[in-house]
Amino acid sequence: MQRGFLQFATALRSRRLLCSRCSRSFLRFQHAEASNDAGLSSPIVKLIEKKVEERNQLQTQVNALEDMGSADSKRLMKQLSESEPFWNAWQDWSRTIQLLRETGALLNDPDPYMRSMANEEYASLQSQVSELLQMTFPTLVVPPSKTAHMSAIMEFKAGVGGSESALFLAEMMRMYLRLAQTFRWKTNVIASNQTENGGVKDAIVEIMGEKAYDTMRFESGVHRVQRVPATEANGRVHTSTVAVVVLPLAEESNAEAPDDLFSMDDIKIEVMRSRGAGGQHVNKTESAVRLTHIPTGITVSMQDERSQHQNRRRAFQVLRARLMDRKLTQEVVDRRDVRRNLVRSADRSEKIRTYNYAQDRVTDHRLGLSLKNLESVLEGDSLRKILDALAKKHQDDLLQEELETS
Amino acid sequence: MPRLTRLLSSLSSALGPESARLELKWMKEAAERSSGSLRLPAMVERRLRGEPLQYILGTQPFGALDLLVRPPVLIPRPETEDWTLRLSRLIQPSPERPISLLDLCTGSGCIPLLLCNTWKPGSVNAYGVDISEDAIQLATDNAHRCGVHVPAEMQPRRYPFNTFKPMLANIRDPSFLLSAELRPPFHVITSNPPYISRQDFENLPPSVKGYEDHRALIGDPTVYPEPPCSESGKGLTFYHTIAQLLAQQDILTDNGVVALEIGFNQADDVRQIMQNEGKLPKTEVWRDPWNRDRVVFAGR
Repeated sequence: MQRGFLQFATALRSRRLLCSRCSRSFLRFQHAEASNDAGLSSPIVKLIEKKVEERNQLQTQVNALEDMGSADSKRLMKQLSESEPFWNAWQDWSRTIQLLRETGALLNDPDPYMRSMANEEYASLQSQVSELLQMTFPTLVVPPSKTAHMSAIMEFKAGVGGSESALFLAEMMRMYLRLAQTFRWKTNVIASNQTENGGVKDAIVEIMGEKAYDTMRFESGVHRVQRVPATEANGRVHTSTVAVVVLPLAEESNAEAPDDLFSMDDIKIEVMRSRGAGGQHVNKTESAVRLTHIPTGITVSMQDERSQHQNRRRAFQVLRARLMDRKLTQEVVDRRDVRRNLVRSADRSEKIRTYNYAQDRVTDHRLGLSLKNLESVLEGDSLRKILDALAKKHQDDLLQEELETS
Repeated sequence: MPRLTRLLSSLSSALGPESARLELKWMKEAAERSSGSLRLPAMVERRLRGEPLQYILGTQPFGALDLLVRPPVLIPRPETEDWTLRLSRLIQPSPERPISLLDLCTGSGCIPLLLCNTWKPGSVNAYGVDISEDAIQLATDNAHRCGVHVPAEMQPRRYPFNTFKPMLANIRDPSFLLSAELRPPFHVITSNPPYISRQDFENLPPSVKGYEDHRALIGDPTVYPEPPCSESGKGLTFYHTIAQLLAQQDILTDNGVVALEIGFNQADDVRQIMQNEGKLPKTEVWRDPWNRDRVVFAGR
């Protein structure tokens, strides 16, 4: 209906259902609308327009090509085809804006029937414009995430607060395991160092699934809990902390196969504890393994599995994730040198969130967002809202960076 | 909770805090999985009496496998796991060129089963021999548990999957090859034969000596009235027996190899036995992750 509206109006006029005076006002409004539409001059529209101009120049160059087979021509044609999405989006945009202007002219039509139709159509066109501005254009401009396919490893460490911190760590772990379930991700607690009263001093959890890393990565940082510990006799509020690090996990297949992340020569593998004569003489379980990546000094110890083979596999998996994390962090740092940096690499010592039991609220300090109903965060529903907001903020930062540097 | 604390502290005094924490965790997990048949306090009680953790839990991971363990069959050791994985990388049979493998003193079947599991389907027919009925039953159960086919017939055959056949036989019986109906030649012969000397045996920890089959541990099973050679008492009897088998015509293919687990101080003796009696001139010694000599690997 939207696109046909103008034709429909014209048809009405030709049947003398629309008077000539209305036709004149129709033209007048067309001009008035053009200048006061906020979206038209936004930076992202300018950027897309620039890309389309570049594309048109490319098109001219390609048209002028004499030898279509040369390497140079192929490069140009490839560039041209890569810029096609900008061209298509721009066509959509121009068409929609055109229709919006035309429809805008009919909003004050004396004929109430015409006005109501125009209103309806105008609203629908506006939502198309905002869809283009907020979804289509940003996804064209911001490069797709290179880590979208990656699973995640989450490392937890109890910080300030001793056993109370360990108790809260256990609750946080349950929160993330529940959340992973709602995303249908597979989880695996690959190490956990439990305390006697049901707390956890430190733990490593593997979360496997599409976008697991991209979704969870903003959880890296220090989480703070403020409450009266179950063990506190005087009813005093304690502040404890848990440190979380989220690492990217590339592939599950063979963690030991060396690749660009490390070479086997750089790895020192140690088995811990002595076994005396070993072999048939001893049947005690000694399965702990420690890996050291010599160039970086990163060490990973694993002892939670009963077999050395499994501990070794796990240790390589964690080492690989730590090295991948390093690599990604380095990429952000390198980019900062050439571009104004808006997208910061996570500072893991930063306090990112507070769980305040007395006030029944959770505050995310990066978002400046406080949510009531702490339980709903621990249950996962509100945690999801926070994660969505963090992802949105990240996308906005990326977009802003593109706009300011292109 | 206080109950768990008590269990942990009693285990700690027996095993040290670190092992106690891990073992208690594994027992707790096994108890939760068993849905009532295993109770944690009873498990800890057994452990405190010196029973090996593996028998209490009923399983032991071995490479990618999770094997059943039952007293008195020898519990698979991490040293054996390590060299079996090394062997699985060193030799890579294919369905186009399948091999035949013999494991002597197979016990739980851990060595051939891990190889069957690692190598491509249809690339190996494995046979395992043991003197213990318990071991043969356990090896058969483990084959089923790991999804490895146990063929009815002795003749190696081409299947689209790997096979493992455990058999009751005594390798020290002079007519062993015939009575076991084995079909040599084999491309690979593996063994973790008993190698503990009588002297060492006396000093073994109670969890080994008191629970695992002595026939799987003691290297010199019968005390000869007169020592057969000067080295008697070093736990090497089975290596002599195996070398004599290897010296027979056609038990090993021309390019066949032998991998034998050894005690930490037996490398030189076993190398010599393989060279002199087994007629295998090329030998090397593999070390285990704790840097002890652990395997003599031999071929022609």
